Amino acid sequence: MSFYIIDSLAFSYNKNTSLLKNISFVIEKNQHIGLIGENGCGKTTLIKLMLGILKPQKGTILLEGQNVRDIPLSQIGCKIGYVFQNPEKQLFCPTVWEQMSFSFIYGNEIDNQDMEDRINYYLDLFELEKYKNDSPMKLSRGEKQRLALASVLSRNVDYLIMDEPTIGLDILRKKQLEKCLLTLKSEKKGFMIISHEPNFLEKYVDKLLILSSKGVEVI
Amino acid sequence: MIDLDPRTRIVIVFFISSAAIILKEIKSLLLLLTLTLAICMLLSISLKKATMRLKRLWYVFIVLALVQSIFTHGGEPLLALGGIEILTTKGLETGISIILRMSIIIYSALIILITSPMDMVYGLAAMKMPQEIGFMVLLAIKFLPLIKEEFIDSIIAVQLAGADLKRIPLGKKISLYTYILTPSVIKALRRARFISLSMECRGFRAYSTRTYYRKLNMKKGDYAIIVVTLIFLIAIVSTSW
Repeated sequence: MSFYIIDSLAFSYNKNTSLLKNISFVIEKNQHIGLIGENGCGKTTLIKLMLGILKPQKGTILLEGQNVRDIPLSQIGCKIGYVFQNPEKQLFCPTVWEQMSFSFIYGNEIDNQDMEDRINYYLDLFELEKYKNDSPMKLSRGEKQRLALASVLSRNVDYLIMDEPTIGLDILRKKQLEKCLLTLKSEKKGFMIISHEPNFLEKYVDKLLILSSKGVEVI
Repeated sequence: MIDLDPRTRIVIVFFISSAAIILKEIKSLLLLLTLTLAICMLLSISLKKATMRLKRLWYVFIVLALVQSIFTHGGEPLLALGGIEILTTKGLETGISIILRMSIIIYSALIILITSPMDMVYGLAAMKMPQEIGFMVLLAIKFLPLIKEEFIDSIIAVQLAGADLKRIPLGKKISLYTYILTPSVIKALRRARFISLSMECRGFRAYSTRTYYRKLNMKKGDYAIIVVTLIFLIAIVSTSW
């Protein structure tokens, strides 16, 4: 069974203009997908539909054979890690450590030692350990992006969706993200990346989806 | 739809909400509610939509009315348990009048809420209100949906982080909401600071006087609606004294 099946999807924010129409594609669990398209063509909206945050007007989205409409957001969150386009929207805890440990405490069950090891590994990787006890609100744009990435990558999810993860990252941090993507690939974990950087995408994805007003083209 | 001057709207809402506070009798409050609803309909406000959107607020008012009914004593007892009066005619009256008063205030607020925020600023400025206060009102109106949006985004982020809000025990849920509320408030405050900086960078408050591109003109219809509302209000208030 395919991981995601998107069939004849249509969505619009208002009655007059349709944003997405005739969107159909399939994603396998260990597939690495790149999603590109012009500004405002509906890339983030498509992801929000896939995560069940928005409800489609037409068509269906099946996650492991089950309609996304019928799955609670928290259950989708346990299967899929999502890096928001704007990291500020993702950071809601008073400290960096609490942000990193939130999913382990409220979501995935895992023993404390393993949790600490994983969190420390990713804080170290993204050079955030010195901010452990600081508020995420105090971090710079790039640091917030790194924290959002670290908090999602540290989780044991089946699939990852990253909405423009390279924004705000310098060359060094981009390399660290690339390292993480390679690790995910070696662990046979799938991911989907929205990006405006074709050079970055072509290194790490097996399939490229080009979103336009006509629909989606698979390369 | 009748296009009223923002000042007319402000004046009408001020009169109606003041009368709602002064009036005590159910009959007078009912008349005032009818007048408010009539003005809303005249301005093409969808009362059905507004009522549905405020669904949760009505529950709060009903609970408030029930509490007031039970704790206000006097008049004939309607319900008693073992000699203790639970509900009296006076208590019931108080409960009903609270619901009516709240309804009047909320529906009258709709008269202002359908005005564009910028028109409100023009209206307040034309009423000789300091420009800072006018813009504070504008930002407050614009900020409410933004704070709500921030809060919803945080709730989505919490759920996507794997937390099932329905299954979390109450104690943990309360601390979780505190978690979410704090950054939402901080983000809103930061946004307010950036907006004030951006406004000052564009010359806001650079001069003691300020001119406005749009000039407001009160039409005959505006005066007529103020006079008619006032006549009705005086009639309602005088019948209750």
